[in-house]
Amino acid sequence: MPKVTINGQEFDVAEGKTIIQAAQDAGIDVPHYCYHPDLPVDGNCRMCLVDVEKMPKLTPSCTTVVSEGMVVRTDNDRVKTAVRGVLEFLLINHPVDCPVCDQAGECRLQDYYMVYGLHTSEIPLSMKVRKRKVIDLGPMVVLDQERCVLCSRCIRFFDHVTKTGDMQFFGRGDHVAIGTFEDQPLENPYSGNVVDICPVGALTSRDFRFKCRVWFLHSTDSVCGGCATGCSMRIDHRDGTIFRLLPRRNVEVNRSWLCDEGRMSFHELMGGERVVRPLIKGRDGMQAPVTWEDAVRSINATLKEVSERDGSGSILGFASPSATNEALYLFKHYLSGRFGASRFEFRTDSEDKKVAIPEDDVLRYTDKHPNSMGALNLGLASEELGGIGGAIEAARSGRIKAGVVIYYKPLVPRPGDEEAEARISELVRSLEYSVVLAAHRADWQSHASVVLPVAAWSEEEGTYTNYQGRVQFAGKAIQPAGDIQPVWEVFANLLYASGDNALWLSIDDVFGKLSETVPGYKDVSLGQAKSFGALPTP
Amino acid sequence: MIEFSEEAKRRYDSIISHYPQKRAALIPVLALAQREFGWISDEVAEYVGALMEYPPSDVMSVATFYTLLHKKPVGKYHMEVCRNVSCWLMGAYACVDEIKSRLKIDVGDTTPDGRFSLQLTECLGSCGTAPAMQVGDRYYENLTPARIGEILEKLSHD
Amino acid sequence: MTKIHLVNIDKPGQATLETYRAGGGYKALEKAMKMEQTAIIEEVKTSGLRGRGGAGFPTGMKWGFVPRNTGKPTFLLCNADESEPGTFKDRILMERDPHLLIEGMAIACYALDCHLSYIYIRGEYEFVANTVQKALDEAYAAGILGPSVMGHDFGLDLFVHLGQGAYICGEETSLIESLEGYRGYPRIKPPFPATHGFLASPTVVNNVETLTALPWIINNGAAAHAALGTEKSKGTKLFSVSGHVSKPGVYEIVLGYPLLDFINNEAGGVPNGRKLKAVIPGGSSVPVLTAAECEGVGLDYESLLKAGSMLGSGGMIVLDDSAKMPEVLSVIADFYAHESCGQCTPCREGTGWAAKILRNLVAGKGRKADIDLLLKIADMMEGKTICPLADADVMPIRSFVTKFRSEFEALCEG
Repeated sequence: MPKVTINGQEFDVAEGKTIIQAAQDAGIDVPHYCYHPDLPVDGNCRMCLVDVEKMPKLTPSCTTVVSEGMVVRTDNDRVKTAVRGVLEFLLINHPVDCPVCDQAGECRLQDYYMVYGLHTSEIPLSMKVRKRKVIDLGPMVVLDQERCVLCSRCIRFFDHVTKTGDMQFFGRGDHVAIGTFEDQPLENPYSGNVVDICPVGALTSRDFRFKCRVWFLHSTDSVCGGCATGCSMRIDHRDGTIFRLLPRRNVEVNRSWLCDEGRMSFHELMGGERVVRPLIKGRDGMQAPVTWEDAVRSINATLKEVSERDGSGSILGFASPSATNEALYLFKHYLSGRFGASRFEFRTDSEDKKVAIPEDDVLRYTDKHPNSMGALNLGLASEELGGIGGAIEAARSGRIKAGVVIYYKPLVPRPGDEEAEARISELVRSLEYSVVLAAHRADWQSHASVVLPVAAWSEEEGTYTNYQGRVQFAGKAIQPAGDIQPVWEVFANLLYASGDNALWLSIDDVFGKLSETVPGYKDVSLGQAKSFGALPTP
Repeated sequence: MIEFSEEAKRRYDSIISHYPQKRAALIPVLALAQREFGWISDEVAEYVGALMEYPPSDVMSVATFYTLLHKKPVGKYHMEVCRNVSCWLMGAYACVDEIKSRLKIDVGDTTPDGRFSLQLTECLGSCGTAPAMQVGDRYYENLTPARIGEILEKLSHD
Repeated sequence: MTKIHLVNIDKPGQATLETYRAGGGYKALEKAMKMEQTAIIEEVKTSGLRGRGGAGFPTGMKWGFVPRNTGKPTFLLCNADESEPGTFKDRILMERDPHLLIEGMAIACYALDCHLSYIYIRGEYEFVANTVQKALDEAYAAGILGPSVMGHDFGLDLFVHLGQGAYICGEETSLIESLEGYRGYPRIKPPFPATHGFLASPTVVNNVETLTALPWIINNGAAAHAALGTEKSKGTKLFSVSGHVSKPGVYEIVLGYPLLDFINNEAGGVPNGRKLKAVIPGGSSVPVLTAAECEGVGLDYESLLKAGSMLGSGGMIVLDDSAKMPEVLSVIADFYAHESCGQCTPCREGTGWAAKILRNLVAGKGRKADIDLLLKIADMMEGKTICPLADADVMPIRSFVTKFRSEFEALCEG
């Protein structure tokens, strides 16, 4: 391990690391535009120049690998003057249209200007190179060529991550501009990432632009609910509204990327009618609102009655692979612990197989649920039933009388969704007694005996287990409206009301039990599941 | 749809055979395409891209880097007068003015009949025989306004 | 004066194989093919030959960096992208004596164990390339090139590759990038071309003039070459001289030859009764020398460096006392702005900005502050870029502005 001295402090740095990486690891910020930890190094912006002893010229810290005894200064006058110069160069042809630029607040030109620049512009407006503005690059991206610092991050993203070459440089010298061929729209399913990695306002989000200044947003760490990959992400929200989803860097899962569908999934979530109050079907066959207490009392009583009358085998638990591990755990614990239920299922569309099949070689998985692996780990796939088809069959034949069904609307729609939903509807209609926990309203829910309003993704804390078996924690960003409760809490209340003495006060309580008892979560703590997630010890 | 002539297709195969990797042939192929089609239009970039299996954006990105590859149509006789130091010292601009006034076009323009276009260019490597201009693959050197007149006269009837 | 490159340059028909051979051509290759490959490299090292493209790096040392037996092919690329303003020597060599280049390349390829080689010729020189191609065809037909070079168990293919208009492609990593079919963006070094060049394989890039010195060195021996010139500048150098001289053209001189003698004797002096004002000795990217600074300066690497300039490519531009220095600098600055590839920030923005300020100044719209701003821009660019193009702009800017400041000031009102 080479010993390197940076700004007078000595560090042990792993072999092969560059100076900028070593500095960042040591908490020393080196200004940069083109360097990105998940893209090949390019060295074009020249902002990360540092002074290395025995090197005659300043050297880019992103291209220089550390060596034993290297003495680096990132903070002396020589470096500061150089960085100020590069920044001034980047600004001479920049339109400085910050008041109408959506990047404000997270623009590296603005930020570094405050640290290194604070100079007066010496170039008259008439001398500036003009380029094209507001170029529509499809559903995700808007391009402003004048604001671009030509760092090539977007180009490298399409060259090296998706390998599709969608964006390129055109022209030469100070007339170089980025763009697509003939302004063609970016149809790449990952194009939103270039907005994130653009360090300036050249590429802005078509969806987010002009919706909200970024400094008004609150951020909550989460995990994408769009597929089995479970990309680490950040929910940016304000006053109960989600404004955008951004990737959170996680080298083990998604590096710095998100797919466009995952990124846009919150629109699906926020669209559609919500279930807001518990509903119970009356003698007239019409559903009417009730209090949670009434709903809980009624469910416990009815399930008890069914199990006593028809045996525990007549109760079905039909879970959702979009529910959290904590929800699924208490769901199963409740049904099997209180009523001896043994029939569990969650599959509507071979999720157990799809969870192992990638959709492409970047991020996406064919299973469009965040927690199929969690459902499998909890034993919620029944060999006997073999999926929802078997469950419907069993309900029709009368082997199953009652069922508790958790339903979430898909966040990333696929053509098979209607079919899957039709099967759920069929299942509910085939049951004599059905309790449906749902975040979103759907017509078929009118057939249910009880409908319970539950929190959707982003409205509750919990963990999801991705295709790797990695347990990842998602935080709560939005306070759900009205009587809505998280699924785990619904079952905690049902358990408590049915005489279970254990106290389930938080997801910490639930996860603790889960990691103790369920294979696949051994030695994993909730703390580990936060940030980058944790793989259980095999 | 545009397509290479049979002769150009033979040339193309020969160019490809000169390189251990196909990509290295891209720029010579673009030069060939310009010879065939006059300039590198979007359509030409798409054709070359399809032929060599590169995205048209990639092809156009390369084309826009090189000044000899035209991104707009030029005249049959594309006159590029060197504007660099030695040619400038020796009177390149008098020659440019002569061309402008005789053809009634400005730098960057093409005559309405499409015969001539005028451009300034950087050092042609004719500093010892300055001023100089390039027309197609030919150099005209030791230029004077009078000589410009003769050249234009000759090319008008070619 | 001893000549190495231009011995037969004026001989009629020299571009044909027949005439070339009649003058002793390809004898050096024949001799070299009987030598050990490494012995040739040693010979080139001993000769003291330095790269004639502009940087002046010792050729033998450059060859010595190429690793052997890497399992990858080794490439020799001839840099014939001659584009430095004031330089037209490679053109003359290729136009009039193309076999000399082919022979030099064949010797280099044999020494480096290279079997596939390209001559990267600037696209504007298409007519020159046609001459080279004819010579190549002859050489193939005569068995000088092809599967068995001069009957030896050594194959060599040599192709002409035409550039398409980009000064930067004369920079060796940019040339490689361009030859690979990309925008001519210079590469970050390390890794160096010697290990990771064309197609990520060991590669040597040599200038035309460097390669055409090889037949003479093989024929006459390294010692004979090392005996020419000064302590650190061995051999001869081609100078392309243009501008305000009576006899512009390409001349070969033994390194160390006095600059003023060269201008006055070889190049015929400054015409029209004018007086010498300044000299750009090595192509537009080297610092300008005032007439006074030229006194006593020899045309060699160390003497020009001592005088505050550089030998560069040997593209000498002579300026008489009618030359308006801000205008000359403006023309030069426009060139570098036009030719900046645009890859890295200081060069892309700095060359363009400096050029605009100068155009403004020349048009009488400048301010006195612009003069210092030019110097500041030079500081902001210098030594901060991937390749030397920005520095090539810095040197004329700084030298013109400091040495002829009063001319710039006279253009400004306030």
